[in-house]
Parts: sequence; C-alpha cells; structure tokens
Amino acid sequence: MTETSCKLDRRSFVGIALRVAGAAGIGGLAAALAVRRGQSGELAWQLDPHKCVSCGNCATYCVLDESAVKCVHSFPMCGYCDLCTGYFQPSPIELKTGAENQLCPTGAIRRQFIEDPYFEYTIDKELCIGCGKCVKGCNAFGNGSLYLQVQHDRCKNCNECAIAVSCPSQAFSRVPAKDAYLLKIRETKA
Amino acid sequence: MPASAKLNPLNFAIGGLILAGIAVGVLVVLMNDPSGDGGNRLPDAFDYSLEEYQKIDPALVKYRQTAEIPLEMQEPRGVAAGIDDKIYVVGKDGLAVFDPQGTEVKTVRLEGETQCVAVAGKDHSVPGRIYLGMKDHIQALDTVDGPAISWESLGEKANLTSLAVAEQDVFAADAGNRIVWRYDASGKLLGRIGGKDEARNIRGFVIPSPYFETAAAPDGLLRVVNPGAHKIEAFTFDGHLELSWGQRGLDVAAFCGCCNPAAMAILPDGRFVTGEKGIPRVKVYDAEGKFECVVVGPDVLAPNFSATTETREDMRLKPVDVAVDSKSRIIVLDPNAGKVRIFEKK
Ligand code: SF4
Ligand code: SF4
Ligand code: SF4
Repeated sequence: MTETSCKLDRRSFVGIALRVAGAAGIGGLAAALAVRRGQSGELAWQLDPHKCVSCGNCATYCVLDESAVKCVHSFPMCGYCDLCTGYFQPSPIELKTGAENQLCPTGAIRRQFIEDPYFEYTIDKELCIGCGKCVKGCNAFGNGSLYLQVQHDRCKNCNECAIAVSCPSQAFSRVPAKDAYLLKIRETKA
Repeated sequence: MPASAKLNPLNFAIGGLILAGIAVGVLVVLMNDPSGDGGNRLPDAFDYSLEEYQKIDPALVKYRQTAEIPLEMQEPRGVAAGIDDKIYVVGKDGLAVFDPQGTEVKTVRLEGETQCVAVAGKDHSVPGRIYLGMKDHIQALDTVDGPAISWESLGEKANLTSLAVAEQDVFAADAGNRIVWRYDASGKLLGRIGGKDEARNIRGFVIPSPYFETAAAPDGLLRVVNPGAHKIEAFTFDGHLELSWGQRGLDVAAFCGCCNPAAMAILPDGRFVTGEKGIPRVKVYDAEGKFECVVVGPDVLAPNFSATTETREDMRLKPVDVAVDSKSRIIVLDPNAGKVRIFEKK
C-alpha cells in the first residue's frame, strides 16, 4: 500500500464515519463506504474559482499528503505586471526574485522577464501546495488571474471530497469528468 | 429498579465503554475538524493581510464628509461635476443628476452600458454638454434627456474608461488600446496621445486592469495616469510628454499595488485628487505632485479590514471614482456603499 492510499484510507474513513454515522448510523456508514469503492469516473470534484474565498483549507483538508489543489494562472487575464501582487510581498524591498521579496511561502511562482516592462508568472506545480495566498495577493490589487483548481492527475476523486466538506464557500461540486476544470476566462476588458 | 441492577458490573462496563466511545468520538472530531471550522491549520507564513497598511495617521486626514447621496442605480461607475456644481453619476443602466446638495434633479435610462462621464464647463465650445464614455465610443448629450449623438466607434478592442473636456477638445482614455484619443467638440478625431514612442521618450501606458484616467489641468496640459508605472504624466494636446510624477509603494504618499491611481481629478487651483484601488484611499497632491493629505481612507471605504483581500468577484471591493466641483469640494463615488460622498476641507 502506498503512503497516499494509506492516508486516504485513514482520513477518509474518519471523515466519512463521522458524517455518515451522524446522519444514518452504522448501517449508513457501511453503505457509504461501499458506494465509494464502486465510484465511476464520470464525475469529478472541482472548485469554482468564482466562489472560492482562498481560505487555505484546500492546502490542508485534502486526503493527500500534498493537496490535489494547486494554483493555476489565466494568462489572458494577467497584466504581466512588474509589481505582481501575487508574486511579491505587499511591501517588497525591491522588485527582485529574492525569497525575502516573494509572497509564496514555498517559492512556487516563477517570474520571467518578457519585454519592458512586462513579466510572466508561472506556477511550479511541484512546489505549490494550494494555499491560495498568491490568489489573495493577486485579487487584492490585480486582475484575479491566479486561482485554484483541483488537479485531476493527482485527485483521487474521493466519494466525498474532504475539502468540499470543509469549504466555507461551497465552492466544490462534482462536474463532468470530461470538463473537469472550471477555468477563469478574461473578465477584465483592458 | 432494584439497587443491585444499578451496580451490575456488566452494566457498569458497558456504560464505561459508551462514555469512552463518546470521548474518542469528540476527540476525533476535534483533531480532524472535517467541517473546516477550526481554520486552515496553516502556519502564519501563509496568512495574507493588508491590515497594517490600511491604517492612516488621523493627522493626515484633512477633509471631512459633509454630505452623501444614496444611489439607486445598478453598478455605479463614474462621477463628474458640471456647471453650477451639479453632480453626474453614470452606472450600468443610466445617468443620474443631482444638485450640489444631493437632491436628485433627473435620472435617465441610457442605451448601452456607460463606463465614464465628463461634463463640459462654461469655457467649452458647447457649455454644459454631457459626454458619456461607452465601451468603444463617445456619446454626446446636449441636455440630460436630449438625444444622444454617438461618435464613431473605436473598434472592438477599445475600452473607454475616462473622459476629459478642455475648451475646444475632448479626450478619451482607452484602456483597451492603451492610448488617449483627442477629438474636437464635433466628434472629429484629431490625434492620439501617449502611444509608445522612443523618439519622443514616451514609454507607453502600462494598464494591467481597466482603470485608466485622464483630466485636463488649468495649466493647459492634459494629465494621464500611467497606472502600471504608478505615475501621472503631463502631455501637450499634441502628444508631447512634458513631465511626470508619482512613486509606487504602500506608504500613504505613494501609489499602492500593481497599478494605481485608479481615479484622478484636478482641483480648480491645479492640485490633484487621486483614488486608489486595493487599499481604498483618496488623497490630495499639490500641483507638482507632492503629497498633501488624505481625504478619506479604508476606515470608511472598506467595510472591514478583510474586505480588501476578498477573492470572490461579488465580494471584492470596486474602485472609487473621484470628481471635484468649482468650490473645491471632493466628490467620491463609493460603489461598494452605493453612494456618493462629498468632502470638504476641515
Ligand atoms: S502562494 Fe500558495 S497557492 Fe500560490 S503558488 Fe504558492 S503555494 Fe501555490
Ligand atoms: S477528492 Fe481530490 S481534492 Fe478532494 S480530498 Fe479527495 S483527493 Fe483531495
Ligand atoms: S476550501 Fe473552498 S474557499 Fe477554501 S480555498 Fe478551497 S475552494 Fe477556496
């Protein structure tokens, strides 16, 4: 058994046990567990970036050790700003890539010069833990081009997504697996 | 029930097991927090807050609010002051006109979505004319409820976000094309201002989000905000860049975030009024761009500290717009409160 599936079993069992036991008793719990094992892949969990409040739960409530939720970037919405408030601390010492200037605690955002005065920002998915801090920074001043999405190459498509249960904004729902991403399109006209 | 039954060791053991089970259940709930009520459990390094930057020294606030006008319209977007200090507000569905005391004079529904407004002064070739900025063209109204004359479309890419009126000229700041268009009062296009031009030492406008402002100053120069550069630039009407000022930063004297100021107006004596997004604050700078004071800050314009870091579109703060009247009153359109706030010097 892999570490992932081991953890999945422990956490999802506890989560499901508590929720189902409260609602339907032990018989219901057994039924819920049976349904989870037989789940088809036709629907997948996804979060609606228009409902997400970047509370941070996506980083910590996923059954995986490293969350299946990661930051993604809508390039058509991005302003390619020199002072990207999703990349830099609110008050950076200078607009340089030193860790002390960066907002992301895991250093998961890459900044690359394009042409004066524009910079491109990309997410290193290996380093991103889906905490949503950059999403807040981007939204506070910028266009909201950074946002979170469940990554389906990682997600175990749990019967009941542990993040969905903890989400304070009801941002999670099951979506058709063939359209499993709820992408932000360009909302700003400039 | 006989006393012996109460003390039966089997019953006692079962009761103990039930209690232990409940205790374990409670512990599991507390430790796992499946509903997320216990917070995100991330270390402090993952918190994002602008709270410390939102506090403004009260000694710097030199204005007080003297009136406010509640608005009925959907999505109020722009404010201007006109002849006799009438106040004009445009929103998604129309134009509302108020007298200087805030009494409604007239409200009209408009065709199409109006994004910005400017009203000609007495010195303009058509005094009192109302210019409306639609997404891709200007509409001219000679009276509030008169017919709207549409000027030529600037194309699909155009996104007019601010208008300015001088004696003979009308200027339209186009965030989509990153240019200011110059017209005469008949709607004839006379020129373009501010496009990247190395020969004229013009870097070009950097406009990450559609907040791009222009205003005609009493010194005869057009002022244009270059929001991504955090500067206010002065151009001749022929498009020569004369000077610029402004610096970026969260400090109260600077312009915050990726791109600011999002709103600008010029007082009759040439001083500047700016409105910022992100950390909502309205400030006054002298005619050379030296910070003078705060008009109103986040304590009034953000309903609570966390409002500035909301990520949901429907919860995010919308930027303010600003205008000034002939008596140097500062008129702030607060779209989040759905009202116009009027400020006067303390
Ligand atoms: S701040 Fe958080 S969500 Fe954004 S890139 Fe870094 S780890 Fe990912
Ligand atoms: S459904 Fe996916 S995102 Fe949700 S808890 Fe399971 S693995 Fe994580
Ligand atoms: S739990 Fe919900 S609100 Fe919180 S970051 Fe995830 S999707 Fe957004």
